[in-house]
Amino acid sequence: MMAAIESFDNIYLDLSKENGKCRFAENGLGWKPAGGGDAFTLDQSNIANAHWSRAAKGYEVKILQRNSGITQLDGFQQEDYERLSKIFKNWYSTNLENKEHSLRGWNWGKTEFGKAELTFNVQNRPSFEVPYSEISNTNLAGRNEIAIEFALAEGDKTNGHNGAGKGKGKRALAGKDQLVEMRFYIPGTTTRKEAEGGEA
Amino acid sequence: DENGVEMKKFKRFESYKRDNQFPPKIRDMGIVVDQKNATVILPVMGRPVPFHINTIKNAGKSEEGDWSFLRINFLSPGQGVGRKDDQPFEDASAHFVRSLTFRSLDGERYGEITNQISNMKRDAVKKEQEKKDMED
Repeated sequence: MMAAIESFDNIYLDLSKENGKCRFAENGLGWKPAGGGDAFTLDQSNIANAHWSRAAKGYEVKILQRNSGITQLDGFQQEDYERLSKIFKNWYSTNLENKEHSLRGWNWGKTEFGKAELTFNVQNRPSFEVPYSEISNTNLAGRNEIAIEFALAEGDKTNGHNGAGKGKGKRALAGKDQLVEMRFYIPGTTTRKEAEGGEA
Repeated sequence: DENGVEMKKFKRFESYKRDNQFPPKIRDMGIVVDQKNATVILPVMGRPVPFHINTIKNAGKSEEGDWSFLRINFLSPGQGVGRKDDQPFEDASAHFVRSLTFRSLDGERYGEITNQISNMKRDAVKKEQEKKDMED
């Protein structure tokens, strides 16, 4: 049996500095910062896919939205998986897919371009993902080399944003170590095509 | 098969087997140097991503105004450096992460991280050389 509302504490939205309460109901989900502030809501009709992975604070539910947006909810416990899996299945007709990330520590694999993000796979397991909304620029930095620059708008020094409701372009800025650039080596003649794909 | 032997040697390294082996410090979503496992964990969009020291070429710090930048360069083809067995040549179509650059207002910390990575690299190269000498 499920309650009308399933609630989880100490959850971080889109790498927010502050944690909050995450609530799931039949018509969608919401997140509210513990210290008060703007709430974030997501309608169930906008949920396309959901992934379960290890993240920084704990386990993460990542929701890929129908409108290509991405919502990251970090801080769940390993044992929350079954409860969440039921929530997504019963209420959102979505399978909470267990995405185990590669822990090998290798820097070679395959870059895959999805609808809303690029994924770097090592041995057919994701190593990391980059939402397109975070990318400000890409260019061919050299032969077989692609540089991806991240959106570090307004050059502000306020480390760590409260992610509530403004997930776009803010993830790179969220932590104390802000990712500004990533370079890939892509062999062969597909370089230009894939670079353009990445900007789409 | 000379190549097969080389490959096996290359594939021997692995940062972690399970995610509960990550140091607790990854919670802070910052760069973590894990000496014990010869690995540097880099935060990418909230994900702790391990990179084994064997994949790292070097790390360097630079300054621009109030900001400090830490650039980590990885071994990848076409750099004209590194020995042949540094690379997984079995898959010529493999893509490589070639570098990641972070910025912070805490330049001292980036100086420390650069030193830690350089020392770890030096130790790894030394260990590898000793192993080679033993085999000869």
